[in-house]
Parts: sequence; C-alpha cells; structure tokens
Amino acid sequence: MARKRKISLSEEELVRALRNREKVAAEALYDMYSASLFGVISRIVTDTAEAEDVLQEVFVKIWNSFAAYSADKGRLFTWMVNIARNLAIDRIRSRDFKNQTKNQDLENTVNSIDEQRNTAYKPELLGIKELVETLKPEQKSILDLVYFKGYTHVEAADELGVPLGTIKTRLRMAIIQLRKYFN
Amino acid sequence: MEDIKAYIESGILELYVLGDVTQEEKLHVETMAAKHAAIKAELEEIGRAVEQYADEHAVEPSDELRNRVLNSLVTNLADDRTFTPQRDNEIDNVVPIRRADRSGFYKYAFAACFVLLIVSVVALINAYRKLNDSNTLIASLQNQNQRFSNTVSLKDSEIGVLRDPTFKMLRMKGTPKSPASALTVAWSPVKKKVWIDMATADMPANDKEHQYQLWALVGNKPVSLGVFNADTASKDMVEMEPTALADAFAVTLEPKGGSSSPTMSEMMVLGKF
Repeated sequence: MARKRKISLSEEELVRALRNREKVAAEALYDMYSASLFGVISRIVTDTAEAEDVLQEVFVKIWNSFAAYSADKGRLFTWMVNIARNLAIDRIRSRDFKNQTKNQDLENTVNSIDEQRNTAYKPELLGIKELVETLKPEQKSILDLVYFKGYTHVEAADELGVPLGTIKTRLRMAIIQLRKYFN
Repeated sequence: MEDIKAYIESGILELYVLGDVTQEEKLHVETMAAKHAAIKAELEEIGRAVEQYADEHAVEPSDELRNRVLNSLVTNLADDRTFTPQRDNEIDNVVPIRRADRSGFYKYAFAACFVLLIVSVVALINAYRKLNDSNTLIASLQNQNQRFSNTVSLKDSEIGVLRDPTFKMLRMKGTPKSPASALTVAWSPVKKKVWIDMATADMPANDKEHQYQLWALVGNKPVSLGVFNADTASKDMVEMEPTALADAFAVTLEPKGGSSSPTMSEMMVLGKF
C-alpha cells in the first residue's frame, strides 16, 4: 500500500474515541473498516466512482449518528455494514442511478463485476480458496446474496427458487461453517 | 433453556446480524439478547464470523479516497463543535478553502518581496556610500586641480618675468639696521610692473603687528608699492603695486597695513639702479 501506516485500535478504544469525536478515531475507523465496507458496497454499486461516493456517505453517516450505536446491540461492524448496505441499495434505487444504468443488463453486470472484483480481492489472503471450499455452493450463493447484495431472504428465496425455510437453514449452516473456519 | 436453543436454531439471529429483519423482529431479538447471555454470545459469534467473511472479501478503495472521507468527517467535526449560526458556517466554509488555495502563493510572494526589499535597501545604501565617496574624491580633485592651476599660472607669471627683457633685476642689500638682509626686486619700467622674489629673500620673519612695506624712491620722494609678509615657507614671487618711475627701491618694517610715509629708522634693505 502507498499509505505509510494504518491506524488500528481495539474495538473498545475505537468506540470510546468515536464517542469523543476524536480525529484519530476517524482515521482509525477508515483504516480498519474501509476495505471491508467497500467490499460490500462495491458488490451492490458496481461503478467504482459511485461506490466510493457511497463509502464516503457511509463514513459521514457513521460519524454523525454514532450516538445511535450501542455495544449492547452487537458488534460495531455489524452496525456499520448495515448502514453501508442500506445506503448502497438506496443509491442503486435512486432515480439518477436507474436512468444511468437502465439500458444495462443487470444479470450480466453483476457477473462481470464479480469477475472484476475477484482480481481486486486481497491477494495476500491465501486462505480465501480454502474458505470458498469450506462453504457449499448453495450456502455461499445465499450468503452472498443477502450479505453482499442486500437481498432479503424472501427475495433470495424467490431468486433461487428455494423455499423460505430452506433459505434460513442454509444461511445458518453457512454461518456455522464460517465460525468453524475462522476459529 | 429449550426455548432459547430453539430460538437460536430458528435462524432469526443470523438474519438479525445480516440486517434482514423487520423492526418488530429487531426489537424482539434485542430484548432476548438483553435477557439471555447465551443469545448475546451467539449474536457476537455470528457477527464476528460474518465480519471476518467480509474482511476476506475486502476491496481496497483508492488511496485518494482516504483524505476525501477524512476531510468530510473533520469538516463535520468542526461544524458540530462550534455553535455558530448557519450563516457564519457558510462563511467559515468558504473562507478557509480560498485561503488554502492561495495562501501558499501569497506566502511565497510576500517572502520574495521582503527579500527583494532587503536586498534593494542594502544595494541602495552601498550605492549611496560609493556616491558619497566619489563626490568627496571629486571635490578633493577639483580642489587639487584648482591649486595646480593656481600654481601653474603663478609659475607662468614668474617665468614671464624672468623671460621678459624689459624687467630689470635689483638685489637690495641690508642696511646697518639689518646687515644680513637681502631681497631681489624685478621691475619693468615699460610695463610698470614690480615683483619681489621671496624664494631668494633673506628677510627676518615679521611678527603679527608688523608688515614689510616696499617703497620706490622717485627723485627723493618715497612712493608706497604695498606691504608683504616674510616667512621661511614662502617661496613664490609676489607682484607689488605698479610704478613707471623709480630711482631706488627700499623696504621698511611698518605697523600692520603699512604707513603713508616710511619710518626711516626701520629701513631693512635698500637698492639703487
């Protein structure tokens, strides 16, 4: 990376610093989470410049409405990724964006962008192949649809032609696999 | 406990973490999590797993974006911390940007001007000093030049006297009052001019109250030809008052400014043709 040093804090320190609205908190927040959040955003908003706009919006919203976050409700990233996903979905549903992309075939775009993004995945993470093999294809496709593409599980069921109950079970199994894998 | 296990296994916690729940479901999960540590721990585990999953799929945004985002946060930070009216905020938002755009240029321009000013002042002082030196030099040269030209014109006159055949040279000898004294007088009856030669004079130096007076004797009548001083430094010829007639020349010591008739007891030298 061109950047000389990334700032990293523990989650407790970061939350405290964000509450105090310290400048270092903003820097740490960006350095620790921008890539993960951008990974989610750029799967929904395929245009890189648009996705970067959304990422900026996300950080502004996190920063300004941080008082709404409570550690009791779960992990910081869970809260942030929901903001990112919602703003990204708002973006593609906005009229401007629809007009801009109305002549493009959505399915093809998603596929081609996924192919592009594969080359941008962190190359230093050699474990990713192993991770992909950990999940069964049907588990991965549901998880990715809901987590990365912002589908509701109802929409995912529709899309994949699978009953709702099966969707829920597969999602849970996928996450259990992940937990095993990461532990 | 069975209820809790079933609740965990229902998959609702996963949907909660994935943000795919209704508002009521959300509140319900949060209530359950607050009541039951097992549910809270499960939520934590699920959250950690999907966080790591997202981390594995991270995509680095461009490096420039970092500053853009941080600047927008810091701007907000400044807005939040200062309780100024909206209008002021607008002004505050505009002014720093302008300054950021131009401050570099003006800073360097000002520094450059200042350096130029100092250099110019130093150069001016130097030039002024040199000019003064030159003026002093010119004045002293002019002075010197004047002295030279005076000397030259005097020498010219002296040489003219010596070359002119109408001039008669007369060496006046000392009287009994001052036997050692002597003075050469040059006189041209044609041109009526009279000079005395201080270079070959042998006269005692006069004091401040007295001066020597040159007399021409025409018949037996003395005619004053002016006064002069004698000192060892004087080496020039001195032109006296003109006379066309003279049988003899004499010098007396008189009160300063001279007398109308010579004091015979103070006669120093006398010469006859």
